[in-house]
Amino acid sequence: MRKIISANNLLLIAVVVVGATVLGLVTKGEFFGQVSVTSFFRYLSVPILIGLAQMVTLCVGQLNLAVGAIGGVAACLSGVMITSWGAPPWIGALSAILTGAILGLVNGLLVVGTRINGFIVTLAMSQILLGVQYGLVGTRTISKDAWADVAAFGRSDIAGIPTIFILTLLVAAIVALFFSQSVTGRQLLASGGNSSAAQLAGISIDRSLVVAHTVSGLLCGVAAFISISFLGGVNTSVGGDWLLPSFAAPIIGGVALVGGSVAVLGTVLAAMVVRLVDQASPIFKFDAGAVNFVVGAVVLGTVALGRLREVRANRRVSILRSQRAQAALEEVNR
Amino acid sequence: MKSRWFVRAARAELRSPRPLLVVLIVVLVVVFATLKPAFLNGSFVIAPLLTSVSIFTVVGLAQMVVLSVGHMNLAVGQMAGIGALVMGVCFDRFGMPLIIGLPIGLAAGALVGALAGWIIARTGVNSFIVTLAMSFTLMGLIPTLYQSWSTGNVFSAKPTGVDEIGRGTFGDVCFGAVCGSPAVPVIVLPALVCMLIIGYFYARTRVGREVLVTGSNAQTAELSGVPTARRIILVHALSGLLAAVAGFMLGASTGSFTPAIGSEFMLPSFLGPILGGTLLAGGAVSIVGTMLGITLTAVIRKGLELFGVGLETLNVLLGVILLAALATDRLRLITVRRRRPRAEESVAALAAELQESEGHR
Repeated sequence: MRKIISANNLLLIAVVVVGATVLGLVTKGEFFGQVSVTSFFRYLSVPILIGLAQMVTLCVGQLNLAVGAIGGVAACLSGVMITSWGAPPWIGALSAILTGAILGLVNGLLVVGTRINGFIVTLAMSQILLGVQYGLVGTRTISKDAWADVAAFGRSDIAGIPTIFILTLLVAAIVALFFSQSVTGRQLLASGGNSSAAQLAGISIDRSLVVAHTVSGLLCGVAAFISISFLGGVNTSVGGDWLLPSFAAPIIGGVALVGGSVAVLGTVLAAMVVRLVDQASPIFKFDAGAVNFVVGAVVLGTVALGRLREVRANRRVSILRSQRAQAALEEVNR
Repeated sequence: MKSRWFVRAARAELRSPRPLLVVLIVVLVVVFATLKPAFLNGSFVIAPLLTSVSIFTVVGLAQMVVLSVGHMNLAVGQMAGIGALVMGVCFDRFGMPLIIGLPIGLAAGALVGALAGWIIARTGVNSFIVTLAMSFTLMGLIPTLYQSWSTGNVFSAKPTGVDEIGRGTFGDVCFGAVCGSPAVPVIVLPALVCMLIIGYFYARTRVGREVLVTGSNAQTAELSGVPTARRIILVHALSGLLAAVAGFMLGASTGSFTPAIGSEFMLPSFLGPILGGTLLAGGAVSIVGTMLGITLTAVIRKGLELFGVGLETLNVLLGVILLAALATDRLRLITVRRRRPRAEESVAALAAELQESEGHR
């Protein structure tokens, strides 16, 4: 029988409920007000998407240090396309998704083609792309006035829930279906879980790596599109603070770092937890540094605890095995 | 016997990326100097160039020691920041002299590094994630501490000696009537000392060799009686210590300790060792190579600055250089694999080469 909801996700839901309740009590109910809830969900979209983008690379045992840089370049390129090259706003904004996918594809091809460690490839790419992003917009901010229609979409909501958040959940659902139902998704999981076994089963590891990096880039592009639609404008700061949240969400959400597993619901819930910490910071007068401190410490704690639990579980299994062996031996002796 | 060893060593040296780096550096210096004679200006170009080479060589060494066990330290910058912060507090708040404040700051860096190493060794979690989380934790902590302990987010008190190390040149060091060159800053000394000590550690000490064994094959090391967990903690502590040295050098050369110290350390820390031939997989280090890799990037940076190339282009170039260097290295190893072995070449030598090529994966 498959578990409908895992223990980790239950814990995360509990943390979200408790956290939201505490925030609600401290702000005397203001936190549950219409404006506050809408802005909470609006700012939740990007963390979820970049968490998923990182999760896709983690699932094949790789990582993507360029999430922020890809998103930043995609967003800035769209801004430049609309204002300087005269592209229609919607086409320009949506092309961010394509830009992201192409940059992800480049990452994947570099990893496969040169056999250089994915960590170094994406580190170098992030450096290159940061330069490109600066080259595109320089020190100016391209205001959202140039794409008023798209900005209106980003600010719109359906029954108090921002449209972009609904869109994000839709993307998350597609990612979940991709990994549970599609052949390619299953192949990615197999490549990450045990690459030699996958290779022997006829799965091309190289193809999996390229697909994973491309999908990761694509999701960064979606995050860039969302950023264009709800931010006041785009500049070099877009994507600058994406790295930690992109790792925090999947790790806290229960994705194994060695690859071979995904946890879409866990990633979404974990992003929500991180968002609560963010939301709490002005209420408790933390500064931005303190948020980083808390999130970093939580990631460390989650990773360490998960590993200790694993070790303990292994020990329990081996004790059980030795007990069984003991019993069997006594049986034989009798 | 001795001469055969020498020939073998020379051959290994030629196969490594180091000669190529030397050639590239020389060519670039000549090109820059002919196009822009100002490039050879002693106190305005060469001295700052050597200063940044010195600082970033130590940063590169801080990364190299963890790469030697196949780990990474994404928190080098923040460890440098913690070291600089503690030194700043010692100098500024407690009025300590250099000789007391410096070791306390270095110890703080080493302690943070040891903590990262301990978490990695104890839990077996990927060093990447542990040091990434560590870097974000410290990134949150450092500005907060500066805010509460310093006035105006900066520690500017300098005990005697700091300026001499950070900003002095050998032009001020005189033996009688003979003075040194004003183009060589005093700050190269701490970098050279670090290189010598680390070189001695890996080449001559038992613990250093044990670290390399741990890096090339942790299981074999464990079975051969090497306390791998303790070696892992040691290299991370050493990394934190070297990072703190670099933090001090940067603070001394700019004249004050600020929260910005270390924020630019991450990419250069990887550039140096990797260009110099240190394997990502662990088990091999190159100290001179790290220095050469750093020098190459510093020369390129400085030269392009003279031509008025903007910061964003520099970043793009550094990224491209890193990728191109690694890609050519891969190509070199592939051609090694393809070519037929010559008669006089031993099977062992080829096997070693192949293993080296696999190490990069």
